[in-house]
Amino acid sequence: MRKLQIAENSTIEMMSPELLFLGKSGQPYRGTLYIHFVSAGRTIELPDFKKYITSLRNKVFMAEDISREIYKTLWLHIGIGEGPKTKIGVVVDLTGRGGIQQTISHGEPFTPNRNKNKIFQL
Amino acid sequence: MTDEIEYGEKRAEEVVALGSATEYKYEYCPEVLETFENVHPGLDYWVTLNAPEFTSICPKTNQPDFATIIINYIPHIKMVESKSLKLYFFGYINKGEFHEDTINTIRNDLTKLMEPKYLEVIGIFYPRGNISIHPVAYYNNGESKYMELEKYRFQNYKMNNLKAEL
Repeated sequence: MRKLQIAENSTIEMMSPELLFLGKSGQPYRGTLYIHFVSAGRTIELPDFKKYITSLRNKVFMAEDISREIYKTLWLHIGIGEGPKTKIGVVVDLTGRGGIQQTISHGEPFTPNRNKNKIFQL
Repeated sequence: MTDEIEYGEKRAEEVVALGSATEYKYEYCPEVLETFENVHPGLDYWVTLNAPEFTSICPKTNQPDFATIIINYIPHIKMVESKSLKLYFFGYINKGEFHEDTINTIRNDLTKLMEPKYLEVIGIFYPRGNISIHPVAYYNNGESKYMELEKYRFQNYKMNNLKAEL
């Protein structure tokens, strides 16, 4: 993923309703991804991040690991731990399986603005 | 009572996918579709199947597409078993096809499988390039009643109010 230089302390929120990956059984999992981060001077190119999300659709994860996986990838590319530190939070709302819905979070705690999902509705 | 038990056993034998270990296929696989017998063939009633996690890919760019697929049908002798339908839909994950073709492929596979009295398939695809595509495919079995129904549904399709179709 290519990096972009941006001002420190810029807060960026991202949302994608198109997260797809495979569970341990091989069953596809669907979810909505929310990211909240405060920049320490870097962000990522959005087309590259889209490709990364798309690349997950043929990869196998335990459902409970998906937020950590995305967090680790983001940190690897834009994380800065010295001086002004990057803060990254990842929340994934998985669609229900067997009558149970899970929300998986990792990193900086935040409350996703789930109303944003409406822009993808009819 | 005995008839009901016998029928239940027969129905359980008809479906293989349900209740057994699941093998997921990642390529188009109409052969996984299964049916069970409709015990009310003399009645006309709607069956709606709603699949909000459908995904396929663009045949030109390989970018992923997502959709909710809605199937409304009036069964005749056979009905599609829902787990096999789920596995069939998963098979589209790597299938490159235009939205309009996908809806017609699903219509064709299901009508071949079930020979229903009437069937319609609606695709509510996520926007791409700021445009979302909502194709609808219809089928009737040639009886005048269902031909009239298709004509009515076609002419009264509310293109900007899909809730009316549910």
